[in-house]
Amino acid sequence: MSATVEAERVTTGYGARDVVTDVTVTVAPGDVVGVIGPNGCGKTTLVRLLSGALAPRSGTVRLDGRPLASLARREVARRVAVVAQDAPLLLPFTVLETVLMGRAPHLPPLAFPRGEDLTIARAALARVDLHDLEARPLVALSGGERQRVLLARALAQEPEVLLLDEPTTHLDLRHQVGILDVVRELGRKRGVGALVVLHDLNLAALYCRHLLLLVGGRVAYAGPPAEVLTEERLAEAFGAHVHVGRHAITGEPIVLPLRRDGRVPG
Amino acid sequence: MRTILATALAVAVAGCGGPASTPGPARPPARLVSLAPSVTEIVYALGAGDRVVGVCGQCNYPPAVERVPRVGGYLSPSVEAVIAARPDLVAVVPSPGNREGVRAVERAGIRVLVVQDHTLADLWASIRTLADALALGDAGARLVEDLQHGLDAIRARVDGVPRRRVLLVVGHRPLVVAGGGTLQDELLAIAGGDNVAADIGQSWPQLSLEMVVERAPDVIIDTAMGTEAGSQSLFASLDTVPAVREGRVVTVPADTLYRAGPRVVEAAAALARAIHPETGPPPG
Amino acid sequence: MRAPYLTARRLVVTLAVLALGLAASLAITLLIGPAHASLRIALAPGGGATPDATILFRTRLPRLLLAAVVGGSLSAAGAALQGLLGNPLACPHVLGVSAGAALAGVLALLAGADAVSGSVPAAAFVGALAAIGVVSFGARAGGRTAPHAVLLIGVVCNAIAAAGIMLVNAVVSYSQAQGVLFWIMGALSTQSYGLVGWTAVYALLGLAWLLRYSQDLNLLAAGEEGALQLGVEVERVRRAVFLAASLLVGAAVSVSGMIAFVGLIVPHLLRLILGPDHRLLLPASFLGGAAFLVWADTLARVALGPAELPVGVVTALLGGPFFIFLLRRELKRGLA
Repeated sequence: MSATVEAERVTTGYGARDVVTDVTVTVAPGDVVGVIGPNGCGKTTLVRLLSGALAPRSGTVRLDGRPLASLARREVARRVAVVAQDAPLLLPFTVLETVLMGRAPHLPPLAFPRGEDLTIARAALARVDLHDLEARPLVALSGGERQRVLLARALAQEPEVLLLDEPTTHLDLRHQVGILDVVRELGRKRGVGALVVLHDLNLAALYCRHLLLLVGGRVAYAGPPAEVLTEERLAEAFGAHVHVGRHAITGEPIVLPLRRDGRVPG
Repeated sequence: MRTILATALAVAVAGCGGPASTPGPARPPARLVSLAPSVTEIVYALGAGDRVVGVCGQCNYPPAVERVPRVGGYLSPSVEAVIAARPDLVAVVPSPGNREGVRAVERAGIRVLVVQDHTLADLWASIRTLADALALGDAGARLVEDLQHGLDAIRARVDGVPRRRVLLVVGHRPLVVAGGGTLQDELLAIAGGDNVAADIGQSWPQLSLEMVVERAPDVIIDTAMGTEAGSQSLFASLDTVPAVREGRVVTVPADTLYRAGPRVVEAAAALARAIHPETGPPPG
Repeated sequence: MRAPYLTARRLVVTLAVLALGLAASLAITLLIGPAHASLRIALAPGGGATPDATILFRTRLPRLLLAAVVGGSLSAAGAALQGLLGNPLACPHVLGVSAGAALAGVLALLAGADAVSGSVPAAAFVGALAAIGVVSFGARAGGRTAPHAVLLIGVVCNAIAAAGIMLVNAVVSYSQAQGVLFWIMGALSTQSYGLVGWTAVYALLGLAWLLRYSQDLNLLAAGEEGALQLGVEVERVRRAVFLAASLLVGAAVSVSGMIAFVGLIVPHLLRLILGPDHRLLLPASFLGGAAFLVWADTLARVALGPAELPVGVVTALLGGPFFIFLLRRELKRGLA
């Protein structure tokens, strides 16, 4: 089973300001859509809109053609999973308990995890390389480990659509690539569609088939990486000079920052 | 001539001032503020009611005091109101809330007279002290004598009758009773009762209901100012207690009982009626 | 180290142990008190008419049962609130409900109701409901109940009610002041089995209502948004839990005044030992809180020889230092 999440001309904000204006994006089965842009341009807000945590002031968000607002939260949670930037550490749950929470949308309100739920949760932990930390309290983990736990929880939800908000912030190189590999594999093998907010433009180029460049809450450009990641467009969006080259092996664009004087650093 | 007499009188008054008084004025005080209901009653009983220019809010006896301006509460007197009344003398009983207020009045240069109210001995001393401070001659001694005669009469009336075990209830929830070493304890003894709570270390102990069962009083005197029905229902299930079994749970109004003043005789009489109803009403 | 997750078996076993502990506590404390009473005499044939039976079954037992119900209610409500507010130091009295109940109770006393009659707890309960209304209304904006707003309004309510009670205290007679103090410090006294029964039925209903949301409370640990994304109707859960907890607290305070610390210490202590899963923590807090207050009341009854202490004094003196000790231990382990 796979699902499509789409936002059509959504606008929303906090208080008087609009943070996202007139954005349209579709996440189809198997897609990996990347969202890039300067800080404060509404990327997190867009993720919230797509997951239903925030309601749009105008426009609609749909899951498989049905407006999100008309669906019960549990129903949405069974099919859409979100990996947030960080987890609040309010109570001392263990890693395994946290990942098991991902099974909650599939279980009746007071049910205990069954054998198959434990299997799914442990498999998710193995996927993110944390299987030997299952009994640790979440508070005892590093920032990077916690981020991986959040991904494991989302994986345990067995979603059809994955929304990830800067999932690589605290991770070292190996795990950054690891997570995005998992996302791409899910897309290929299970048709899970994914929307990933990334600040690393090269990772975005490597893993995403489709990119959305958000500036000031609006879609500045949308398209395949080769089209979006050009020097002019990046300079305009980020206010920084870059050199865009070609990856020697994959052929994808590579973005290299430039010093003010126009030279490559180093 | 009058000035010399007045000065001599003033010196005499200053010489036998109360336990905590500041040096007195040149003539007997003409404007008195009373910050305790018991003091008010004593002053009126001594015949000096016309000198009272301010009383605390709880002062309600004798009826004549209704017309006197109020200067705050017994627990929290209003310093400004006291000073505004321009008294020569302020009489006070120490209470948990009025210490600061009284100090402020003293600092304003007003003479303060402190009297105690814990026991009968305190009461006699208070009467004498107030009488002296107001230069009333032997009015104090006479009042004390009258009251003591009244109490003796009650003692005599219950003398021939076997004493009864008594519990004096002050509050329902929590259950608070009169302990030993209090004026009320003394009145109970005069009225022919043995206070079952007398051995408990505190003056106003809070008790669990099971203690009432264990101490098994013959009479329970309820002064908690609740309703009659409430009083009965509190003890209703304790039918092994003689007071409950024989229907001797009696409510007595608390006004006179908790004031160390001239109405102690009435209070003792009310207690005697409650404890020994068979001895009949007191004369007069 | 506790197990990495909660199983049904661990839940049942833990609750059974706690329930046995509560039963044992009741049995033992029944025999402890400032008055002497022999169980043997009370249970012998014809023993029903002895002072021993009166002491044990007409004064002590109803009081201990009331302590259990009140302690359980306050602790379960405290556990739910700590989960809902994401704050392990939240205490049920900050809801402002207690203040409403206490103020209404005091006013009822002043109006001449007898402290022993049923009208005072009833008035207090109405006060509790009014306070719930005020807090809910004040903390709602745009269809959302903001937790920090609830806390703030609750604190303000408490301050206003405390001021009101102190004001009343300043003008009433000295003997009435004692009754007023009851509300602020909290006290357990012998009440009728009927009242105890009603309070118990009420508490169990409230507990059952809270249990319905225990998994939701777990998911709220993921944050408001995290919980939404895991399928929790956050706003509905918040309202339901606030209401259930407030009613539990309101009922407890109506019969026993504001007993401090029980709703704070017991859930916190049990969370450190049993883990934060509310499916276990809520019923465990009820049972643990019941046992705790039963023992605290027993201590209050015997601490000063024949006279007794208000139970709120005991819970504060017992609870405070122990809580600090526990907290330091957990901080050193780096787990709190």
